[in-house]
Amino acid sequence: MSFVVNKGETLGIVGESGCGKSVTALSILRLIPEPGKIVSGHIWFKDRDVARFSPEELREYRGNDVSMIFQDPMTSLNPVLRVGFQIKEAMVAHERFDNKTADARVVPMLQKVRIPAPKERAKNYPHQFSGGMRQRAMIAMGLSNEPDLLIADEPTTALDVTVQAQIIELLRDLNRDLGTAVVLITHNLAVVASLCTRVIVMYAGRIVESGPTRQIFNSPQHPYTWSLLQSIPRIDSTQHDKLLTISGLPPDLSNPPPGCLFHPRCRFRVDRCSKEEPPLEEVGPAQAARCWVLMKNALAGAEPAR
Amino acid sequence: MATAPSTFEPGPDQFVATDTYEVGEQVSAWQDTWRRLRRNRLALVGMAIVIILALTAIVSTFWTPYEVWRQSLGPTYQGPTGKHPFGLDDSGRDILSRLMGGAQVSMVVGVGTATLSSIIGIVLGLLAGFYRGWVDAVVSLLINVFYGLPDLLIVLLIVAVTQQRGLGNIILAISLTAWLGMARLVRGQTLSLREREFVEAARSVGTRDQWILIRHIFPNALGPIIVQATFVIPAAILFEAFLSYLGFGVKPPTPSWGAMASDGFRSLQYAPHIILIPAAALCITLMAFNFMGDGLRDALDPRMRR
Amino acid sequence: MALVRVEDVVKHFPIGTGIFGGQVVRAVDGVTFEVRTGETLGLVGESGCGKSTLGRVIAQLQPATGGHVFFKDTDLVTLRGEKLRRMRQQMQMIFQDPYASLNPRMTVGDIIGEPLQNFGIARGKERERRINEVMRICGLNPNFIRRYPHEFSGGQRQRIGIARALVLNPTFIVADEPISALDVSIQAQIVNLLEDLQDRFKLTYLFIAHDLSVVRHLSDRVAVMYLGKIVEVADSKEIYLNPLHPYTKALLSSIPIPDPDLEAQREPILLKGEIPSPVNPPSGCRFHTRCPIAQFPKCSEEEPPLEDKAPGHRAACHFAGQL
Repeated sequence: MSFVVNKGETLGIVGESGCGKSVTALSILRLIPEPGKIVSGHIWFKDRDVARFSPEELREYRGNDVSMIFQDPMTSLNPVLRVGFQIKEAMVAHERFDNKTADARVVPMLQKVRIPAPKERAKNYPHQFSGGMRQRAMIAMGLSNEPDLLIADEPTTALDVTVQAQIIELLRDLNRDLGTAVVLITHNLAVVASLCTRVIVMYAGRIVESGPTRQIFNSPQHPYTWSLLQSIPRIDSTQHDKLLTISGLPPDLSNPPPGCLFHPRCRFRVDRCSKEEPPLEEVGPAQAARCWVLMKNALAGAEPAR
Repeated sequence: MATAPSTFEPGPDQFVATDTYEVGEQVSAWQDTWRRLRRNRLALVGMAIVIILALTAIVSTFWTPYEVWRQSLGPTYQGPTGKHPFGLDDSGRDILSRLMGGAQVSMVVGVGTATLSSIIGIVLGLLAGFYRGWVDAVVSLLINVFYGLPDLLIVLLIVAVTQQRGLGNIILAISLTAWLGMARLVRGQTLSLREREFVEAARSVGTRDQWILIRHIFPNALGPIIVQATFVIPAAILFEAFLSYLGFGVKPPTPSWGAMASDGFRSLQYAPHIILIPAAALCITLMAFNFMGDGLRDALDPRMRR
Repeated sequence: MALVRVEDVVKHFPIGTGIFGGQVVRAVDGVTFEVRTGETLGLVGESGCGKSTLGRVIAQLQPATGGHVFFKDTDLVTLRGEKLRRMRQQMQMIFQDPYASLNPRMTVGDIIGEPLQNFGIARGKERERRINEVMRICGLNPNFIRRYPHEFSGGQRQRIGIARALVLNPTFIVADEPISALDVSIQAQIVNLLEDLQDRFKLTYLFIAHDLSVVRHLSDRVAVMYLGKIVEVADSKEIYLNPLHPYTKALLSSIPIPDPDLEAQREPILLKGEIPSPVNPPSGCRFHTRCPIAQFPKCSEEEPPLEDKAPGHRAACHFAGQL
């Protein structure tokens, strides 16, 4: 897997369960649980290879240069410590701010993430927060050391749709105001359309398509991306057609199919697809896809019947 | 069997989807448990000893080197010799033969108690946990009352009152104290299982109460039940040995390890083998069952990583 | 023609036992609507609105605290014991969690066959034939009839649940978030399956979900719930084009659309505050604490009734359509 996150951009990593998107994000922070490990390759942050960091360098890097927030804030927040204390701890642990300065920064942080009555809320415990507020507290903790990159792993999946809209709006504003790059990992394509300027689509542990969001959504080149977009019902759709489905199941990675990993489920496969795995190649300005056929060629013929 | 994840028709979706999910050979829950158990050396040793014990018990029904009751086979208190590998006791009886006979007593009492107390405990636990209300109130009251009374007192009372010293009576007496643990366990299991969604689903398809208990709740509580029953066995064996030591166990000349130990207590100074050998047998048996029980518990625990 | 009529259904859960009487969670606090024969009525709302509880009360898996649930002409709330059990042949439920709703110790065949056994329908060969048939219809390979749930994927387990609901040939099915726990590409499969089954067997659905996009796609009419009450009911097209209740409007504006150009132009209506606790719902209109157009004192004192604001379009708001 190779990809790039540019300074201050919003990147979406999209895929279904088991595609490897969470593992990818965790590897940026080298948080892969045993027995998994990084077998080869590099993780370049600014100019240093994170994959070669010593434990001391790692400690400094995590939470400081790169932060992460997770899907379930209840498990990332310590239920017996006050929220304000936990945010302060995140700052003090990296020794960027002393105790007093850190203390002073807590309430403004909570304010920045739009938690109402921040002074009182800082003294609350996590269980006194609602789901949306806990997620905001997590974001506050993640941003407290002014990292260059914030990784958000399914931050809104467990939240109601109105709360989700608030969190996405918040992330968008924080990205714009603080210049923190955001990597959003999700299975929800619509959320990506809302927040991210660039997208990476993953399937079975590989990048199958990447590029600017507009291009990917308007002219997806990989059949998986295309099928996924066709299979999501849209709130604004005017006709009631049957949803296009992707039949079959994701492959068993301990026994993968030959050639392209998606070919058994692909409507547009040709002979070559079952023999050789295609490389990730450029198919348009800044857009790359891993496919022998490509949608532009497949659709040049008749559109497949729904 | 093919390993491709699906049979696929390109083109319009068929009404009948044709997913075929290949998972390899069928692995039932019990096979999985056995596999995990196999990896636990201590548990395997325990099981081996238990099997040897059971075989000894069976064999002793129709054969022992000497009759268990025959006295004066040689000088009393004689230590281990070629003809009598475990020596002779204070009446000149062969200790090895008596040990084998005692094994039978222990096994019968152990397994008998485990069975009877489990039946009582399971039935009461299921009813209390499922119906709650007054049924639960009565059962819980019973449990608490029995829990407060010393086990020994109850057993002695039953033995004294009925004036019977047969194995059946002893099993009954011990069971009346041992059912508590099982009832508590099953009640707890039932209370949590009845809230599970598949129980709700069973109700929604019109399953009657008794079938919910038998088909849905009981099988899912089986794991902890088996472990609990396995631990009742050594407890019952010890109890019986204790009773026999005090003189309230099986009537002589039926051998019991406890009685044998009692016989040998007086001659501890000059013929220690008379007490040490049955005591050692008891220790090894108890340890074996405990290791086996621990192993079973670990193997059946769904949360432990493989 | 109403197949199911829900009238003033109330469901309260007591919490804690104080000396002066414990508090009560007003999960469903007076709900009235009907489900017409052959239609799909979608029931949407966010967490805590009571839609799942309402579904279970309608399916008689939870007893109603008050109100009536009429199925054809029988009030289910008055039924007990065997009479209620018999009713279940006509009304079935599909559950949300494909992992928790199947007994891990039963084979697929037993799970699907259990309803048949409960009502003494079909034995032996005939029973097996029916199980095979319903498995095929739901896209499951009948060869796997002796396998256990853990050997199947989430989507397939959901199909097993659907097969179980179908095997008795019910007329009405309550589907409680049947696709929320599934992967995106599998969701479409199950949605299509549900649609096909409805056409083929003339089923009536109450489809409960929080994803309004899916609900809109599947449903003929949509009812929106907030804090234990229905705030709007309308045709699915109408509810998107012309939402009258401010909550519905805010909800619709929050739903992201997989179209970056559109999204760049949209501005979600962000509601202030949090969803209030159902233990102590706000006075008057329950939505007034977060409503962008609430006017006082009317909205905090008078609870707006759910009534027709346009033909076939009901809303509970004093100022419907003004957001």
